[in-house]
Amino acid sequence: MRRFRRAAPVLALLVAIGPAAGRLLAGPQLPSPAKIVLRNGLTIYHLRSADVPLVSFRMLIGGAGSAAEPAAAEGVADLAATLLTKGTSKMDANAVAEALDFMGATFGIGAAEEYAQVYGDSLAQHFPRLLEIAADALVEPAFAPAELEKERALRIDGLKAAKDNPGAAVRYYFQKAYFGAHPMGHLADGTEASLEKMTVGTVEGFYRAHYRPDRAIAAVVGDIDAAALKPLLERTLGRMVRPAAAAPDAAIPSLPRPSGKTLVLVDKPDATQAYFVLGAPGFAMGDKITAAASAMNTLFGGRFTSWLNTELRIKRGLTYGVRSSAGNWAVGGLTSISSYTKNDKIGEMLDIVFGLLRKARSEGFGAEETESARNYILGQFPPSLQTNGSKAGAYVRLAFYKRGFDEYDRYLDEIGRLQPAALKAAAERLLPQDDYVLVVVGKAAEIRPLLAKYGAWREKTISDPGF
Amino acid sequence: MRKRACLLVLALAVLALSLPAALTKDDVKVRTLGNGLKVLLVEDHGVPSVALYTFFRVGSRNERPGLTGVSHFIEHMMFNGTPKIGPGEFDRRMEFRGGSNNAYTGDDFTAYTDWFPPAALEAIIEMEADRIQGLAFVPEVFESERGVIASERRLGVDNDNDSLLAETVRATAIMAHPYHWDVIGWMSDILSWRRDEVMAYYRTYYAPGNAVLVVVGDIDPVRTMALIEKYYGPVPASPAPPPVATVEPPQLGPKTVLMRKEAQAPSFRVVWHGPSVKDPDYLPLAILAKPLLEGESSRLYRRLVREEELAISVYGGIAETIDPQLFTIEVKPRPGADLDRIERTIEEELAKVRASGIAPQELDKALNIIRADFYQGLQTVAGKANQIGAAEVLYGDFARLFTMMDDYAAVKVDRVKEAAGKYLVEANKTVGRLVPEGGAK
Repeated sequence: MRRFRRAAPVLALLVAIGPAAGRLLAGPQLPSPAKIVLRNGLTIYHLRSADVPLVSFRMLIGGAGSAAEPAAAEGVADLAATLLTKGTSKMDANAVAEALDFMGATFGIGAAEEYAQVYGDSLAQHFPRLLEIAADALVEPAFAPAELEKERALRIDGLKAAKDNPGAAVRYYFQKAYFGAHPMGHLADGTEASLEKMTVGTVEGFYRAHYRPDRAIAAVVGDIDAAALKPLLERTLGRMVRPAAAAPDAAIPSLPRPSGKTLVLVDKPDATQAYFVLGAPGFAMGDKITAAASAMNTLFGGRFTSWLNTELRIKRGLTYGVRSSAGNWAVGGLTSISSYTKNDKIGEMLDIVFGLLRKARSEGFGAEETESARNYILGQFPPSLQTNGSKAGAYVRLAFYKRGFDEYDRYLDEIGRLQPAALKAAAERLLPQDDYVLVVVGKAAEIRPLLAKYGAWREKTISDPGF
Repeated sequence: MRKRACLLVLALAVLALSLPAALTKDDVKVRTLGNGLKVLLVEDHGVPSVALYTFFRVGSRNERPGLTGVSHFIEHMMFNGTPKIGPGEFDRRMEFRGGSNNAYTGDDFTAYTDWFPPAALEAIIEMEADRIQGLAFVPEVFESERGVIASERRLGVDNDNDSLLAETVRATAIMAHPYHWDVIGWMSDILSWRRDEVMAYYRTYYAPGNAVLVVVGDIDPVRTMALIEKYYGPVPASPAPPPVATVEPPQLGPKTVLMRKEAQAPSFRVVWHGPSVKDPDYLPLAILAKPLLEGESSRLYRRLVREEELAISVYGGIAETIDPQLFTIEVKPRPGADLDRIERTIEEELAKVRASGIAPQELDKALNIIRADFYQGLQTVAGKANQIGAAEVLYGDFARLFTMMDDYAAVKVDRVKEAAGKYLVEANKTVGRLVPEGGAK
């Protein structure tokens, strides 16, 4: 076991904007890919890169994410995505797993809120076989009842086990407290109650309605040339059939905006630390505030010397990690702040967080800080697009949000010109003052008195079903 | 889809013949300064970025009771000020110049990992050379960082049942060697480290002769070597640190751990003493770990998770360490699962391996997994720096990186069976269970 100086960012709830952060470069950040359009209408972006004998494949299927689920079938998007990989008309689940593992390949399908995403990575010599298996999964899934039963049991048990890890559990509770009944509040893993009700019909119905080539975008990056790739794509992904019926409406209703404070305390009697997530409205993908928001967040809670980390960790040793981050979707966004500390310090920690939020909104950031944020984002951006997988992921994400492959060049160009006023404006718009959702998981007997001054808390107990 | 074992972070294996043109042994420029600092440079202009990694041969293996966790604490204190650069200034300067960093401490070594744009190279080298020549250990900063480590321990161990069990099983299986304790250290030691003892420990291990500096990325090797000479050259040489003398005595019978704690789901783990990375039995056991534990087609995943539905997940493998450590199987049981049945199932599968070994097809599968993992790690300047440095420290020679797969490919399938029969046996085993308070539900 290795101990790191900094925790890896925990962003399970959030969809990252892409590579998080650059420098002014002569050339583009993202090489221009070739565009291949298959006979069934599917678009695939291709970039050859032969540094290592590997190939990465990524695909997004718009509208096949958790926000498209019927309320009664919470969790069906990710369940369907996983079951696609558990057997096809040609191979059962064991045979699929054996074929993939034998190649040392990774392959999976999962649901985000707005889309399902397919990923596959393999040695170049095995890529044709990987793509054949991926196509079988996407086109001819078996949806065997026994596999649904296995996956259902696994997920229900996984949800129970997550409650032993307060750092993970607090994010589930937060998602429910913030989004409520809005489709963005659907837990990708489902709930015990929704999973109990799931049938093969529910899962297959979701798949048939939402897995469409006209809603999908794919990218292939790595050690494969166009002459070999095109026929391979036609005989694999080219088999996805475009349904005669029009695609269902994929629009997601506007996100809820907290009015006043929503305070939720979850009692975990054996916890020795208290964990919190604080959230408020953020900004949508492509919003003009993106660059300013990114620099503001860098200074406020996005890097080691950020205000939050300086006050809570560096100066006071209250925590191993604290961060603020932005989740962005087409329909809107979320600003969130999270950390943890000893039970008896949670009041002090929250006081400091709220003090820093007030300071950022009222005073903004200095010229030297702003320069540091610019340098930091410009310096950290290029290595974020080194791997085949990161490039392929960027192509499909940018195409999905209709941002253009020069998005990062424009973004970094804007970063390079940012001045303090823009960061203050971003803080005023994005950092919460009076309207927010705050969820704390900890030992209620010990932390309740420390939290009382923030207002009236709705209390839950961690052993109760659901979140 | 494939579950990767978290124990085997390095995955050093590769076939020398099939190494990509992107990195060969000849691409690594090697120099040892007069004070003993070993420098390894690789020019790579793929992105305008540099990875500068410093490895010190110090980890929890060098600690003693009372000072457990101190290697990791010093890793944190390395960012908290020197006589020349004030507390917090290292990070402020690095981030101002567009760089970022992290660091990690393991059983055998501590690594400092910097990523920055090429223009920052001289400033970073100057700061890195400064902090191996003495730390301030400002008393208030020392206390604050102690609090950070205590929080890290509460997060990573005390509030995480699987980790709590892992710590106890490790300490039960290994009784004499310093691998007895986890890198984080015992809480009572964390709360009582003394400044003078910590400073003495730092002086012993943070010396140029005990370090390896790896720079990979958008650099001019000649200029980079000159800068390293300029800033590191004047650092005086120090005596070599004392060797780790303790040898773990053989285990002569099975051990068991039972913990009771409030929990929704139990935890389960079983370990056996294993060989060191340089032992001829290491590679056969590293190979065995793939068909036994890695991926949904692995023998134990299939039985425990898919067929008998006793577990949510199963991971494991052989620790990649300088001294002999552990082969681990970690199972996340379903809530209410019969832990005895999990243990019996593992034992049945191991009995098959001891009797019949693995199939040739499973050997090929292991080699494919190892190759794919290796190349994944070579896609970035950071990944290259990490693999080169870790090979130098663990094997005593970075060039091992370029021949390892010859060794893997040369492993005869029968050697897997022999190694399993030697190590994965009852007398050498420690089984740990954490059951929800009041008994397994």
